Formats: sequence, structure tokens, C-alpha cells
Amino acid sequence: MSAYVPMFLLFAVAATLVAAFFLLSTYMGPRNKGEPEHNTPYECGSESSGGRHIRLSAKFYLTAILFVVFDIEGVFLYPWAVKFRSLGLAGLVEMLGFLAVLVVGLVYVWKKGALEWEK
Amino acid sequence: MSLWFALSPLLILSAGGLLLMLADAFSEKHTDLALGAFMTFASAGIFAVALWIMGGVPAEVAKLVAPWIVLDKFTLFFMATLCLGGALSSLLAGGYLPEHGLDRGEFYALMILSAIGGVLLVAAGDFLALFIGLETMSIGVYAMTSFRRTNPRSAEGGMKYYLLGSFAAAIMLYGFALMYGATGTTALAGIRDALASGSFGYARDPSRLTTVIIAMAMILVGLAFKISAVPFHMWTPDAYQGAPTPATAFMSVVVKAAAVATAMRVLLVAFGDKFSSSWGAGWPPVVAGLAVATMVVANLIAIRQENVKRMLAYSSIAHAGYLLIGLVAAWGHGDPSASRNGKAAILFYLLQYTVTQAGAFGALILCGSKGKEAVSYEDLAGLGRRNPAVALPFTLFLLSLAGIPPMSGFFGKLFIFQSAIEGGFTWLAVIGLLNSVLAAFYYLRVLVFLYMKEPQPGAVEAVPMKSGYVTAAMVLASALVLYFGLMPGRSLDMAISAAQSLM
Repeated sequence: MSAYVPMFLLFAVAATLVAAFFLLSTYMGPRNKGEPEHNTPYECGSESSGGRHIRLSAKFYLTAILFVVFDIEGVFLYPWAVKFRSLGLAGLVEMLGFLAVLVVGLVYVWKKGALEWEK
Repeated sequence: MSLWFALSPLLILSAGGLLLMLADAFSEKHTDLALGAFMTFASAGIFAVALWIMGGVPAEVAKLVAPWIVLDKFTLFFMATLCLGGALSSLLAGGYLPEHGLDRGEFYALMILSAIGGVLLVAAGDFLALFIGLETMSIGVYAMTSFRRTNPRSAEGGMKYYLLGSFAAAIMLYGFALMYGATGTTALAGIRDALASGSFGYARDPSRLTTVIIAMAMILVGLAFKISAVPFHMWTPDAYQGAPTPATAFMSVVVKAAAVATAMRVLLVAFGDKFSSSWGAGWPPVVAGLAVATMVVANLIAIRQENVKRMLAYSSIAHAGYLLIGLVAAWGHGDPSASRNGKAAILFYLLQYTVTQAGAFGALILCGSKGKEAVSYEDLAGLGRRNPAVALPFTLFLLSLAGIPPMSGFFGKLFIFQSAIEGGFTWLAVIGLLNSVLAAFYYLRVLVFLYMKEPQPGAVEAVPMKSGYVTAAMVLASALVLYFGLMPGRSLDMAISAAQSLM
């Protein structure tokens, strides 16, 4: 149990800090509430318009998913490249196999027209 | 024997899946892809059988991929079973998809890629490999479930299955993590050794005991979800009903077999030590409770169904209950003979269930055609007289599901109940037997509609479809049901031999 004491300490500090910030700003901040200016978005961002339930094109999700797939491929290549020499020929062949699978995926996606925004 | 040959079923499935994906992208017509999928499954299955005939994978070759992938006879048996189920499902898809306007080639690629996950799941000797297999299998099935995109039921089923499946996988993964925390390893054999060894010391450090029990419970939840045992079955009827029927067949056959196989490996191997598998503090009473709940609840609900596909979904849940009896028997109070017979009974049951259940869904496919899919009992009324060639295989599979001799289902149940009695669980066998009687009611009700009722005047009649693929699947499945039923000896010997290799 004693191993968890630092963790509980961390939680306690975090909770105290958050509570302190809220309380301090409530009690010590300037008392000019109620002005309409305070209800507008703060400095950055433009005025929002329209409702929240906007229909987004499913193409965004497709693009995002494709990005994740091929992004992970890149991430996976890094540790392999670092360890390239010690992995030897077997490592090269295995990585080529992995890439071949992804190339098949890319060809499929391409051929199916998923990479074209306008059809 | 080289490692390439030892892994050939997996490699064939992978290559076949990728090739079908490319073929789908480059071809306009997709009807022939079913044949390609069938050939892939068939050749992978044949290679698995070839490996079996050659006496299994030699230890020095199997060692190369251990402990991630275990290439014992148990794995080979299930590789062949999964490939059989996949082959039948792909034949059904070849008839069903074009008929109902779902003719998109992805289905076959998804099916094969998902089956790879199933094979990996069965072969996994380590929690990490197991999880990868589980997810590979599940993701393909989620997509197949919601394949009828424009149908709300299909979308609902897919969504439910996906969300609940992700939860179950997350809970299971949490269990793996806790187990790793308690034992310091993720390999199944390593966990067994750690739990069994005196130095691990349940007695010395009670907090570890708590961790192990929580981890075991969480892993059991994940497994029970995939097997669709009550009370983790809620997704099953919706997913099975909403999915295109070939996908339903695939789920109830391949996914279930793979899940039961991995449950056997996890419970009997990793948690096979004296403490974790004791009646007082381990998993056996929990599994026995799940078995009883699964059988009773599923059968009672199945009786009330008016939709045949949904009835078959509940029946598939009920069969999971019988399999769980086998799992308790396979533990068998640690008695080696009872344990071996229990394991073999599960294997034989799954082998014959694969053929029977895929066949039953196939027969249901055959009963309907475009726009007039046979779903309710009423749709089947009088079909036996109008179209005996369609009704006959349906009858065969239903009798087998009900466990009536000489169909294969009879011997499946017989061996399960026999091993339960041998293992000292007569009460479980009795409950199972009573449930079989209960189940016979709704299976025979289909026969009553097929042969003894006439459609109500003015009702839309379901017109049987014509498809070479589905017919071929029916012939193959009927032949196998009769073969397993009339000559169970050889396959039972194989099941026993596979059961002995599980350790």
C-alpha cells in the first residue's frame, strides 16, 4: 500500500490546486460581473453561428482513418530502422512483408476511389 | 519440416484474403469471389489436415514461434474446423449476397481476414497474441454484421455488437494487465507455472490473491461475451438477426468455435493450477453457473420467438451452454480421464455444430429469395410440400440441432453429458438433458410448419431461391452431418488426440 502514497499525494495536490484557483479567482477577482461583454468568447475565436448539430461529410472520417493507418506504418518503421543492423536479413524480409500488406491496402483504397474527394 | 509449412494454413488464409481484396478492387463482377474464398478456406483446411496426418508440427519447429503461437494438435484441429465453417459460410455468401443486392466483394475478404484472427486466437499461447487475434477476428465481424448498410436492423446490430464488443475487449485487457501485474508474465504456460509454484505464495501475500481473482473474473467476462453466454448475450440476437445470413452463419460457427477454443486454453492451461481451478475458490463453479443460466434462459426465450433467424440465434446461445458444461467436465475435479473426455467432447461438439449450424442458416437462406426472405415461421408454412428438396436438408439440420439420432448433434450432446457424469457433474448433465427436451419443442415447431401447415390465404409466400453455391453448401453440410452422426468414431478419435495435446 505504501507504494501508492506518492500517487495519492499527487491527487491531493492536484485537487487542492484546482480548488485554490477557483476559489482565489472567485474571491479576489474584479467584481464587475453581469456585463454582457463577459458572456462573449474570450479574445480568440470568432462569434459562433448556427446550431451544434451540423452534419459532417463521412469523407472526413474516411480520410482520418486512412491517415491513422498509414501514420502508424510510419511510426512502426522508426524503431525498425534504429535496430536495422541487429535485425539482419530476417528483419528486412519481415518489414517488406509488412509493407507489402500495406501496399495492397493502398492499392485497394486507391482503386476504390477513396482517395478522391470529389467523385 | 520448415516453419513455412508449419504455418501454411495461416499464410494461405492471409495471402488469399489479400488477393481477394485486390481482385475485388480490379474486377467488376463479384460472383466468382465466393469461389475464391471457398478455395482459400479449403486449401488452408487441407494443409491443416495434412499437418495433422504427418503427425503434427515437430517440437523443434513449434518452438520457433512459441510461446506466442502454439502449434499443437489442438490448434490444428481447430484450424481445420474454422476453415470448414469459413468454407461453408463463403458458399452461402456466394448465393445470398447477389440474390439480395449486397454483391460487394469486401465481404469475402472480411470473412477470410476475420478467420485469420480466429485461427490466431485458437493458436495463441500468450495474452498479447490472444488479444491481437481476438480484435482481428472481431473487427471483420463487426463490419460484416452491418453489411446491409441501408437496413436499420443491420446497422443497429452492428453498432450494438461493436460497442459491447469493445467494452468486453477492454475489460478483458484490464484482466490481462492485472494478471501480468500479479504474475509478471503474459504467457499462458508462464502464468500457470507462476500460479502453481509455491514461491508465488498466495498464502504469503494475500493482496496478490485478490488481484488474481479480479483478473480471472475480468478475463472470464471477456471470454463469456465472445461465447455469448448468459448474462453476456444481449448483443447476440440483434447482431445475428440484423446481419446478412451468411455473416450470421460465420459468427455462430467460426467466432463461437474460436472463442470456445481460447476459453479452453485460458481456463484449462493458464488457470489450470490447483487453486484457480478449485471448486471452492476458482472458475469451475462460475462456469457451471454460466452454463445453467445460458441453457435455461436461451431456451426459454427461443420458444417465444416468431422469427426463425432469431430463434436460431437463441439456439446458438443455448448451444454455448452445452459447451460450457463440457468445459466444467473438462476440468473434472482434476481427474485426467474425465478431463480428457470432457475436452474431446467439446471438440467433437464444435466440429459437428459447425456443420449443423452453418447448414441450418444455409437452409433458411435457401427458403427465401429476393424481396421475400424467409424469416418467420409463417413464411415456411407448407414449404415441405411445395419444395421438398429445400425442406429436406433443413429437416436434417434441425433434427441434428435438437440432438435426435442418427444426426451428429445426438452424439455431440451424448459425449458432453457422458463426460459431465464421468467428471461427477450428474446434476449438470440432467439440467442439460432437460434443456434439450425444451429445445426440441422449437426445433420441431419449424418442422410442423414445414410439413403440416399451409400458408394463410393471402400471405406473401417465400419463394425458394436457386443458387448453385448454396446447394453445394447444403449437399456438403448434409453429407457431413450424416457422416459425423453415423460414423462418429474417427472424428472422436481425432478430438481425443487433439484434447491430449492441450496442456
